[in-house]
Amino acid sequence: MAEAALPGARLERRDALLGLALIAPTVLVLGAVIVYPLLSAIYLSLFSLYTPTLEGHWVGLANYRAVFGSGGFWSALATTAVWTVGTLTLQVLFGLAMALLLHQNILFRSLARSLVLFPYFLSTVVAVLVWRWLFNDLYGVVNHALMAAGIIDAPVSWLGTMPNAMLSIIVVGAWKFFPFVVIAILARLQTIPEALYEAARIDGAGPVSRFFDITLPQLRDVLTIVILLRTVWDFKEFDLIYLMTGGGPVNGTRTLPLIVYQQAFGLNQMGLAAAHAVAMMLVMLVFMLAYLRRAGGRVA
Amino acid sequence: MVQVVFDKVRKAFGDTVTIPGLDLVIESGEFVSLLGPSGCGKSTTLRMLAGLEQPSGGRISIGGRDVANLPPAERDIAMVFQSYALYPHMTVAENIRYPLRKRGVPKPEQATRLAEVAALLQLEPLLDRKPRQLSGGQQQRVALGRALVRDPSVFLLDEPLSNLDAALRAHMRAELIELHRRLGKTMVYVTHDQLEAMTMSTRIAVMKDGVLQQFAPPAEIYDRPANRFVAGFIGTPSMALAEATLLRDGGGARLQIGAMMIDLPGRHAAAAPCAVTVGIRPEDIVVGQGPWQALVRLVEPTGHETIVALEAGDLALTARIPGGPRLHAGETVAFDVNRARLHLFAADDGHRLALDITDTTPPRSA
Repeated sequence: MAEAALPGARLERRDALLGLALIAPTVLVLGAVIVYPLLSAIYLSLFSLYTPTLEGHWVGLANYRAVFGSGGFWSALATTAVWTVGTLTLQVLFGLAMALLLHQNILFRSLARSLVLFPYFLSTVVAVLVWRWLFNDLYGVVNHALMAAGIIDAPVSWLGTMPNAMLSIIVVGAWKFFPFVVIAILARLQTIPEALYEAARIDGAGPVSRFFDITLPQLRDVLTIVILLRTVWDFKEFDLIYLMTGGGPVNGTRTLPLIVYQQAFGLNQMGLAAAHAVAMMLVMLVFMLAYLRRAGGRVA
Repeated sequence: MVQVVFDKVRKAFGDTVTIPGLDLVIESGEFVSLLGPSGCGKSTTLRMLAGLEQPSGGRISIGGRDVANLPPAERDIAMVFQSYALYPHMTVAENIRYPLRKRGVPKPEQATRLAEVAALLQLEPLLDRKPRQLSGGQQQRVALGRALVRDPSVFLLDEPLSNLDAALRAHMRAELIELHRRLGKTMVYVTHDQLEAMTMSTRIAVMKDGVLQQFAPPAEIYDRPANRFVAGFIGTPSMALAEATLLRDGGGARLQIGAMMIDLPGRHAAAAPCAVTVGIRPEDIVVGQGPWQALVRLVEPTGHETIVALEAGDLALTARIPGGPRLHAGETVAFDVNRARLHLFAADDGHRLALDITDTTPPRSA
């Protein structure tokens, strides 16, 4: 019996080795690009470091006391929340509306479907340059158009005053990232069986009923995932805000990623920057856990 | 009384005409099957009746009411879809109540009617489940329940059994027959499965390329197919169709099929001589005795009967003989045909010849 079982056992061991060999590259790459930087950020956050030389000394949790004790972190967290909620809401509403429109049999549908991706693929630097020009208070098209339409009497400083600056970045963020929402929702819309709508028509549901009774429930899963993902991505958005306003006016649009950058490369406080980054990560962990539960639940 | 009338109904998708002009009158309380191969226009016909497609011409009326401008919800119809189309996020109870809710039926009445339908279809233990937690047969019953709960005048069923396995299909067939008997409602049933059409319908509308071929009770469709297409389409295994010549022979007539000569009653002589298509059903071939010889090509025992493929010269025949296999492939057997049950069709357009042999015999009991 034992002899008979031997070849099978050897085969199993070989399978196990093969399994390890196949998963090893993934583990190594993830370790190098995720686990190592994460651990090193946590490690750095326990030091007072001068960025250009990375020289400094151990301060323990002093950086964290500074982070949580200062008003800067909390106001930046609030700013980040305003930016995230604002831009995400616009992205989802506009993305949903656009996806529903592109799902209809409209003229030039495939052309429109390609064009809608344009903002998402455009480099942020280029997009921001164009938007800054549009928003310029002296020669910007936005002011010109609003004045021509008689909505405003004098040019408005879109990026230099609050709350205009926040509104501006929220709008540009929504413009830049709504195509992601469109793609995800459009893909789901196309898989909703037509028979459901036909059954609903026979059952007496009008267009509004059909949207709320069939389309929206069918989109619930994809909306949840899209919102979670975009929350995480908007929360840590850096380049768009930095290039649009640099965090100003004063600290009006200074979100958490901007503080991290400012501490690390403006004030050369790498240790404090790392502490800010770790604190920010803790906030994001909430969303990530929600996402993982959602994604894990779907597999199960 | 709810009569369903198709009056010269035409349907074209762009330049493609799928239904050139359909005339069909379905009487109140009938169970009518629209039967035909894929693409014959049967589903389009049903969808036009439901209001999911607009006819390109002609007139459809339900219960004397022209429904051209009525949306599906106002036609007093209910439909069961091939995919069931249950709302996936709603429970069974919510699914069944949905049409009542959308019509503003008061809550207590919704509950009463839900209970009635659930009892009728034995859905009570399933009411709190979601469709994905149900088997195919259970989903089918929920779809029926959603149609029944509104008490419509006409039920439309679009291949409702085709997603079920064979045993369940037979079971649901029986349930549908029983349901139709109890409700006495007009039902229009689309299927490509002739067994379903034959067993359930009061009348079958056989369609091909958008054209109605025959509209008659199942027995008549089987015993007197109106043309060569219906003859070949209805019946499993299908009727053997062969080119033949009708000849005059003194005062009588003879049918020449290849080398075979069959004497026919004298009244057929009037049309002779002419080219015809002769149709012979498998059960009308007698194997083991008779004036002709055939080679046994294939023997397919099914248990209670055996299907035998025969070859007599150029003529390929299929015979159905009761019991287990008594023959072997490769042997030669004598055979005969039941002359009284031969079918004759015009060689040109395939219509059933009026001087038909079976016209003298009554159709077998329905």
